[in-house]
Amino acid sequence: MVLKVYGLGVAVCTRRIATVLHELQIPFELVEVNLMAGEHKTPEFLEKNPFGQISYIDDDGFILYESRAICRYLATKYKSQLLPAAGDLQAKAIFEQACASEYCSFDPEAAKYVLETVLKPSLYGTTPDTAEATKILEALEPKIAAYDTILKKSRYVAGEKLTLADLFHLPIAPLLAVGGSDVMTSQRFQNVKHWYEELVGRASWKAYEGGVKTTLAY
Amino acid sequence: MVLKLYGTPYAFGATAVVAMVLLEKHIPFEFVLVDLKTGAHKTREFRERHPFGNVPCIEDDGFIVYESRAIARYLADKYADQDHGPRLIPVPTKVQERAVFEQGASVENVNFFPSVLKVIQEKFEKPLHGETTDEVALAGYIAELSKVLSVYDDILSKQRFMGGDEFSLVDIFHVGTGPGLALGGIDVMISTGPNVARWWNDVISRPSWVKLQAEGIKSSV
Repeated sequence: MVLKVYGLGVAVCTRRIATVLHELQIPFELVEVNLMAGEHKTPEFLEKNPFGQISYIDDDGFILYESRAICRYLATKYKSQLLPAAGDLQAKAIFEQACASEYCSFDPEAAKYVLETVLKPSLYGTTPDTAEATKILEALEPKIAAYDTILKKSRYVAGEKLTLADLFHLPIAPLLAVGGSDVMTSQRFQNVKHWYEELVGRASWKAYEGGVKTTLAY
Repeated sequence: MVLKLYGTPYAFGATAVVAMVLLEKHIPFEFVLVDLKTGAHKTREFRERHPFGNVPCIEDDGFIVYESRAIARYLADKYADQDHGPRLIPVPTKVQERAVFEQGASVENVNFFPSVLKVIQEKFEKPLHGETTDEVALAGYIAELSKVLSVYDDILSKQRFMGGDEFSLVDIFHVGTGPGLALGGIDVMISTGPNVARWWNDVISRPSWVKLQAEGIKSSV
């Protein structure tokens, strides 16, 4: 049975999963969840994801939610090079360190900025609070500076090889520019710029520019 | 050379998460205090170890790891096959069991941590900076956290711990923030539902946590 991804073509987390599926060349069917109709709060949905959030997968009856956990599961199942070598203790530690930095040091402010400048306007027609947006960027900048130091010493966030830790930063990172911030491509952070431009140049990222869709063949 | 743990000395915060893992796994360590009040974590020298200028970090015979959850995973990995207490993480070859663990780990950092952090910041950190707690905002944050814990109650009616049926790192990840709530008279960790209460009592009654609460974080050698 083909893998089913329950989510939304335009959603950040669905895109995160789809990017990894594309990297791994795994066929999948996107089943769109009708958020507007509250489908994610129905008892049937809550059976699958008790937090009532998208996305989740159904892999031949095995249900899993949380996009980063889903990506890790798929990469493990298909023995992907996007994970560090099983026997390399230090490479695994650096990988976990990079994954933790993504959700502790990058995502909180990046997601807040995107919410304020992109999501709220597009969902509710509000005008971004520029003072608030500036404050968020001021908190994000030192983190990007730290990334720049890290990426001066290694090509990717977890070493010399591309891993899930890099891909987890997509798709929030490109939305920063949509919200008006050039922090990922600024000359101030040359190493971040170089790393970021490579990531968004990948076929797996470009494949779903118009939104995630069912992909049965590559 | 004995492992060095750099961080804060309390049974609270990210350093405590690592300390609990060290105790659970019987790993000897030297504790090195980083005095946050003096900005010791923001110096250029410290940032050589931790580019984001936070605590904790470890130094294991010259190998440095930061981010408490990454350190915890490294320690569980390094001491997996020896006689060092519980495994704390399913083997990667048990693909589905490991996936459920990763799902729980993600739930802690995506659903629980941001929610509990808001409560902690409003209730405890604001007064430390001379600001007054906004009781209305606090009540809102506690309500949000209770909603998350209601889902925890549902999950814990089907599995014994938050990472699966075995006690694991996922449960330990909660000790940096959860236990502090009770100090402020906030009892959501035991009042939201019977399964969460059972789980939480299981976590904080472990001898490793009882010792940390009683003594703080100290070098084991």
